[in-house]
Amino acid sequence: MPLKPILSAAAILIFFAAPHFLAEFHLFEICLIAGTSLAVLGLVIVTGLAGQISLAQSAFVALGGYGASILATSWGIPLWAGIPVVAMVIALLGFLLGLMTLRVAGHYLALATLAVTAIVQLALIHWEALTGGAAGMAVPPFEIMGRALTTGRELYYVILPVTALFILITHNLTASRFGRALTAIRQSETAAEAMGLDVLRYKAAAFAASAFLGAVAGGLLAPLTTYLDPAQFGITYAIYFLAIAVVGGMFSPLGAVIGSAVFVLLPNYLQAFQSYLGLVFALLLLGFIVLRPNGLSSLRWTRPSRIALERPVEPRP
Amino acid sequence: MLAQVLVSSVTAGAVYALIALGFVLIHKGTGVVHFGYGDQVTFGAYLVLIAQMSVSGLPFWPAVCAALAISALFGALIYGGFMWPLRNASLLARIIASLALGTVLREFVRAYMGPNAWPFPFLLSQTSIPVAGVLVVPANLAIVGVSLGILGILFLLFEKTLYGKAVIAACDNRIGASLIGVRVSTVFLLIWILASVLATVAGILVAPLLTLSPDMGLIGIKGFTAAVLGGFNSLPGAVLGGITLGILEALVGTYISSALKDMISYGILIAVILIRPQGLLGGLLVKKV
Repeated sequence: MPLKPILSAAAILIFFAAPHFLAEFHLFEICLIAGTSLAVLGLVIVTGLAGQISLAQSAFVALGGYGASILATSWGIPLWAGIPVVAMVIALLGFLLGLMTLRVAGHYLALATLAVTAIVQLALIHWEALTGGAAGMAVPPFEIMGRALTTGRELYYVILPVTALFILITHNLTASRFGRALTAIRQSETAAEAMGLDVLRYKAAAFAASAFLGAVAGGLLAPLTTYLDPAQFGITYAIYFLAIAVVGGMFSPLGAVIGSAVFVLLPNYLQAFQSYLGLVFALLLLGFIVLRPNGLSSLRWTRPSRIALERPVEPRP
Repeated sequence: MLAQVLVSSVTAGAVYALIALGFVLIHKGTGVVHFGYGDQVTFGAYLVLIAQMSVSGLPFWPAVCAALAISALFGALIYGGFMWPLRNASLLARIIASLALGTVLREFVRAYMGPNAWPFPFLLSQTSIPVAGVLVVPANLAIVGVSLGILGILFLLFEKTLYGKAVIAACDNRIGASLIGVRVSTVFLLIWILASVLATVAGILVAPLLTLSPDMGLIGIKGFTAAVLGGFNSLPGAVLGGITLGILEALVGTYISSALKDMISYGILIAVILIRPQGLLGGLLVKKV
């Protein structure tokens, strides 16, 4: 018997069975893990595959959440239609940001994307007429076919399939022409260019993909948390996503899920140390980047060709 | 009015310049851009408070000395614990590590000292003295003076001493420098210690002006902007960039909109990176293949 159909059937069975056995709190957390991993998936593409550091993921998530909510409250466009539209627009923004990488790499790219996050956050705080300012804004419920989905139990049926779909797409992407081109660019931009790859266009496309995923994640997380607070979408949030990507493993879509699960579930086990939570996350990030730069997903099924955060052997002068 | 705004903005500019000097020192000396430097500045100021808390009745000045000594050790720890093990890692890993280091410091301070702001004493009098119709505050002047003083010392170190040349050589070509007898690891270690002490000096000077809370480290972005504006490898550029940024911010904040003030500096950061990545005073960098 082939293994793949059995596994897929089991996954679908578990997907439909889980809501009948799990409490609302656990379903809410599952949705949170799925939504977060969707945002981190963007980093897997742009930072893991293409090797371009991005601290703008927080901005994309914020724009996705705010954009879809504003469309719903001001123009009456339901979230299920608004989220894809907003995601497309933000993907375009991501593409433009990616075009910047023509001139910018390494440290400067980190700085520029950091500035993007800071500017978006300031805009959300100061554009009070549209965003509710520093007080934040309430998110309208996710309505589909006349039914409002409000709880984690109901949103589960939206967030999980969408996340699963994008994880599959990203997984297939890594082995596709696009994915291999990004890998080539990460390993050596000059060599990739010499092979005839349009490096700039590929990098911009990677940024567009990460912006798209971030915006979809923001749009889906907004009705789950029901409230958007601009203070949340700052640089700390951008580093949070980066930490998840590093701890989970930046080179596989699975890493995004593992990392998100760790970061969402860990607070449950550290109830007594609530005030140390941020420190624990920061130490996890630091520990992994120094000791295990390829993350948790590389622990057991390491493939030698994937050791990518270690510098390739350079010829000695 | 304009004169008063300019004089006040020079203080803010000097704060940015002080932080930018630290960035440039680390980058010039070790080739690393330390994204956690802003948080290290905050941590330095907190070290004084922590020293005063752990030894009850410790006066302010000995506490400052203790903080400087601890931060020197801390600089050695950063190099030995993180930068040395990562010396062969990719640029991406090193950027993330320095971001992580800053986050660890920020969250440590938040967990240990609480999320709220702490009062921090001024080193000099803050009563303003009128000079030619413009109010000048001695405590603010001290920041400008110290920034210029540190610039002078670092400039002399890098440009006029054999040791400074060794530092630049070690950063430029590790193997080449070690062949002619420069002990590269010692040079890097000393740079990290120096930068770490400088961060604490900056923190002690800046904390009374801004609010000393765990998130004060976000001022680091302004320091970055100043460093990028001046040219990331140029020490005088860092001071020039800092003061230019301070004046621009004050002008925008006074005459256009105070909401735009912060956005302007981030906008400048992106614009400089895109249009003139070598900054005002930096030499043209040739990208290595």
